[in-house]
Amino acid sequence: MAATQLLELAGARTPAEACVTADLSEARDRELVQRIGRGDEEAFRGLFGRYAPTAMALARRVARQPFLAEEIVQEAFLAVWRNPSGYDQQRGSVRAWLMGMVHHRAVDAVRREESQRRRAEESMVSDPVVSPDPADDVADRIDLPEERKAVRAALEALPDEQRQVIELMYFGGLSQSTISEQLGLPLGTVKSRTLLGMRRLRGAIGGGDR
Amino acid sequence: MMRDHTRIEELLAVRSIGGLDPSDEAELEREMASHGPDCEECRRLRTEYEETAGRLAFALEPVAVREGFADETFERAFGRSAEPAGERPGAPAHRRPWLRPLVGVAAAIVLFAGGVLVGTAVTGEQPSGKTVLTLQSETEPGTLAAAFTPGSSGLYMVGTGLPTLPEGKVYELWLFTGDTPTSAMCATPSAEGSVFGFADKSLEGVGLLAVTVESADCPSAPTTQPIFSAEVTA
Repeated sequence: MAATQLLELAGARTPAEACVTADLSEARDRELVQRIGRGDEEAFRGLFGRYAPTAMALARRVARQPFLAEEIVQEAFLAVWRNPSGYDQQRGSVRAWLMGMVHHRAVDAVRREESQRRRAEESMVSDPVVSPDPADDVADRIDLPEERKAVRAALEALPDEQRQVIELMYFGGLSQSTISEQLGLPLGTVKSRTLLGMRRLRGAIGGGDR
Repeated sequence: MMRDHTRIEELLAVRSIGGLDPSDEAELEREMASHGPDCEECRRLRTEYEETAGRLAFALEPVAVREGFADETFERAFGRSAEPAGERPGAPAHRRPWLRPLVGVAAAIVLFAGGVLVGTAVTGEQPSGKTVLTLQSETEPGTLAAAFTPGSSGLYMVGTGLPTLPEGKVYELWLFTGDTPTSAMCATPSAEGSVFGFADKSLEGVGLLAVTVESADCPSAPTTQPIFSAEVTA
């Protein structure tokens, strides 16, 4: 697919208006989802190769059981294959949609198996980074590191107390009331820290400043 | 004049990262309903917080997927014609229709065999062709059973009354083909000592099932001695 077509899919009126790397990447993702809607197996393989390692990292971090994480990731991708029209371009990027599905499933699993879950503060052993998608699209090689860098920078820029509650909630799968209990903080404090932190993150990575 | 969206924003922000309690979930629904389906600000806030939350995943280092995992996923996605009529394509294998009665059968055998497990494995073939095999232990309390269909893929592990494990430890089920173990699944016992797990594995050629206590990252080879085992005779 030509770059101009990709930019059209990305919603960019002119190349100058686009943040080229991010938009090309997002346009490619949207193209993959469109092709999946037509039953294109290679497109599904492409999307899987591109995002399965991140999805697995998220599922393992939240669910903390490798086999459960595999089930969560597989279910999320199968949901994409079965119902690609579930993606609504008006509601954000493909990658955020996909990771949202993984995260929701992981949190549900954690809540179902609350008694089996280890403490949220426990750090996860990092697995080696892989590059499973040999696609020739230049976006593959340059945008995910940039994405990771941007998200990490946004998180690191948060005050510690805001980052703590957000990480416990998102990566630990804990509800705000559970965090309140675990940290010995008033629930209102947890709520305000979460909101302040999420507002900052939204401005940095969620399109809230666009 | 724009309505106040402070409370909706607070709730959307928390929901986007999975932290809402059920009572807050209900409140968010009420608030959103009160603003109506055409509330642009509500839609914008929801979209931007969901986008933010989805992108947080990229703060993590990617994790290598297990060898074969991609192929298994593609097989389940593309192999729809092989699915029985009426079964949802791609449905998780552990939700297959025969699971519920099988779990019941496993539980029944576990209850029946409880306390007298040292000795010969209890193998029960069910009318549907499913087999339930209890694993034996001379040292550990509780009972553990594996359920499968000979010749087919799909293996369940069901246990009750098992010892809880130290933090960071799991039960890992191994399939021995000759002297070679292959990891089938890991499972953490609940506070009540119950475990349940599924692996899309076949017992073709497997002569022995064994369970060890391993670290939560599920090593690819056993690092401790088996505490439960059973010969596969079915």
